[in-house]
Amino acid sequence: MRKNAILGAVLGAMLVTGTAVQAADREIVIGYQAPLSGDRSQYGEMFRNAAQIKLEEFNASGKLTGAKVAITFEDSKDDPKEARNIAHKFLDNSKIVGVIGDFSSTVSMAAGEIYAAEKMPQLSQTASHPDFTKLSPWQFRNITTQAFEGPYNADWIIAAGMKTAAVIYIQNDWGISALDGFVSGFKAKGGKITATEAFNPGNRDFRSILTKVARQKPDVIYLAMFYEEGAAFAQQREQLGIKIPLYGTSSLYSPKLIELGRESVEGLHLATTFTPDNPDPAVQTFVKEYAARFKSEPGMFAAQAYDAVGIMLDAVAKAGPSVTRESLRDALAATTGYPGVTGATSFDPVTREPAKALAKMMVKDGRFQVVTGP
Amino acid sequence: MVFDVFFLQQVINGLSIGCVYALMAIGFTLIFGVLNVVNFAHGEVYTIGAFVGLMVITAMAPPLLAVVPLVLAVGAVSGVGLERIAFRPFRRFTDEASQKSRAMREATLLSSLAVSIVTREIMMHIFGGDMQGIPSGYLLQQPVAIGPIMVASGSLVIFATSAVMLGALQFLLYRTQTGLGIRAVSNNQLGARYVGINTDRTIVTTFAVGSMLGATAGILVGLYDGAISPHMGFAPGVKAFVAMVMGGLSSIPGAVACALLLGVSESIATEFLSSGWKDLITYSLLVITLVFFPQGLFGHGRERA
Repeated sequence: MRKNAILGAVLGAMLVTGTAVQAADREIVIGYQAPLSGDRSQYGEMFRNAAQIKLEEFNASGKLTGAKVAITFEDSKDDPKEARNIAHKFLDNSKIVGVIGDFSSTVSMAAGEIYAAEKMPQLSQTASHPDFTKLSPWQFRNITTQAFEGPYNADWIIAAGMKTAAVIYIQNDWGISALDGFVSGFKAKGGKITATEAFNPGNRDFRSILTKVARQKPDVIYLAMFYEEGAAFAQQREQLGIKIPLYGTSSLYSPKLIELGRESVEGLHLATTFTPDNPDPAVQTFVKEYAARFKSEPGMFAAQAYDAVGIMLDAVAKAGPSVTRESLRDALAATTGYPGVTGATSFDPVTREPAKALAKMMVKDGRFQVVTGP
Repeated sequence: MVFDVFFLQQVINGLSIGCVYALMAIGFTLIFGVLNVVNFAHGEVYTIGAFVGLMVITAMAPPLLAVVPLVLAVGAVSGVGLERIAFRPFRRFTDEASQKSRAMREATLLSSLAVSIVTREIMMHIFGGDMQGIPSGYLLQQPVAIGPIMVASGSLVIFATSAVMLGALQFLLYRTQTGLGIRAVSNNQLGARYVGINTDRTIVTTFAVGSMLGATAGILVGLYDGAISPHMGFAPGVKAFVAMVMGGLSSIPGAVACALLLGVSESIATEFLSSGWKDLITYSLLVITLVFFPQGLFGHGRERA
């Protein structure tokens, strides 16, 4: 709490001096709502860190003349009630033309209902619930959903010459969306699904599923699960002497997968938005800057926030110094090929869903490596 | 559906998972048999066994056979501690009315649940909720080919351990003085006290033995599974409980047989149904057993004091 107060004071001081020096310039403010205290505060902390880096880069870049952009942070505590209060507060501040956040889908949607009614553009870095962008034309997100990732992986597998697949998925809303995304994409490309097998969260024994699936000899097994189960699955596959290659969702992308799965996860393929190992110079600049300032390697969440802020600020620059909430919304909707650290991002002007070029990875020699080609 | 090699593999898979349930059910049933109440903290003893085993392995890298006695000791200590905290306070009244009171006895259901929750939260706090990996040299995961069938080395170890535990327990119960005491207390606690058996000591011994078995089960399953977490005791605990009820509550061989039956049924059911339904099989078997064999498949229909 005290740290937050100090940070707030520092930020406030920066704002004051900023306006004093550039008195002639218009001040444009972006509201950022995120959990900065409570259980989820580590995420809000990462978002704020990444946002500060991006904001300074932007103000130094000279992309926008005649105005200065600032970000004001509010702590939503990952609580829908707080989020609604913040939404009203942001709406009452006429300097605020756009909002970034919140963290979880539930909280983002609670605030989103108010932004939708009062016409404020809202961009969440992480809200992945399908209904979030369906709230109104004012909601955007910078995270891909399984409806995008599934067909992307399906294309990748088909391009690698594999035609039949078995899907193993976790029995929850997310798992079912991953299953649907992949199966529809795979069938559309002429692939054949030999089996779809659900397992209950917490299950640790996949031997019977593996034995059942292996009988039909699919070309590939597609895993829609998290790293704990992914590691157990890969180990048991190895024990049973099954050689069918594994592809999986980006949720498996964690150093823990290799730590737990060891040699058994060698050769597992997955596509992800952000990896600190990506040789792309934009990614390397961000990783170095973040590590230098905050003494830790940025993860996926920091990268999502960094790009969300970047997309928002570029839209502000496009709309010009006389930007309004309406013109910012239109500029956001027109985002195409934003060169971020989580892949080049475009928004579909109708659905406002992001499309990204994902980084294709495989586990090789005990670590995730970027794969080039199919 | 054909009876091919894959089907045989499913049966073997089922026996492997059944052995995991059995390993846990043995200690569980032993403690239930003596006190006639469920010890909800048995799953945490199992988890403690796994974590202590892992800590010893990472700190000193001893040979696996040296880890086992240590885990046994830790199990015994946690069993005695558990009895002291959650069970003994409810036996402090020795008059006949309190001894016969179901309410006094069943209060331990909640006190053991409380100990289980507190222990799990403490472990979460210390170790975090994430899965912890086991150093690769200790993993019991080498594939062993028996003809066209693949078995993990851990399955064989767990099978052998279950068999040894079962045999040793039967010996303890039916061939030793201590076992006679345990059976007497199990049969009628008040009667045992009247004929001069030190019931408190017998109960403590039972907890020590049962928890030793539980802790050993924990580390073995951890090595077989490749990862452990503070929540690892819950799912097999539920299955062990079902096996115990199906087996007739206090019959240890019955619980083991039912654990194997559950494992094989779940595994074969995966051939016909989505594996998301496998818990349905377990609970259906439980309901069917309770409807048609209210004493359990191996119960003796003894009088419940």
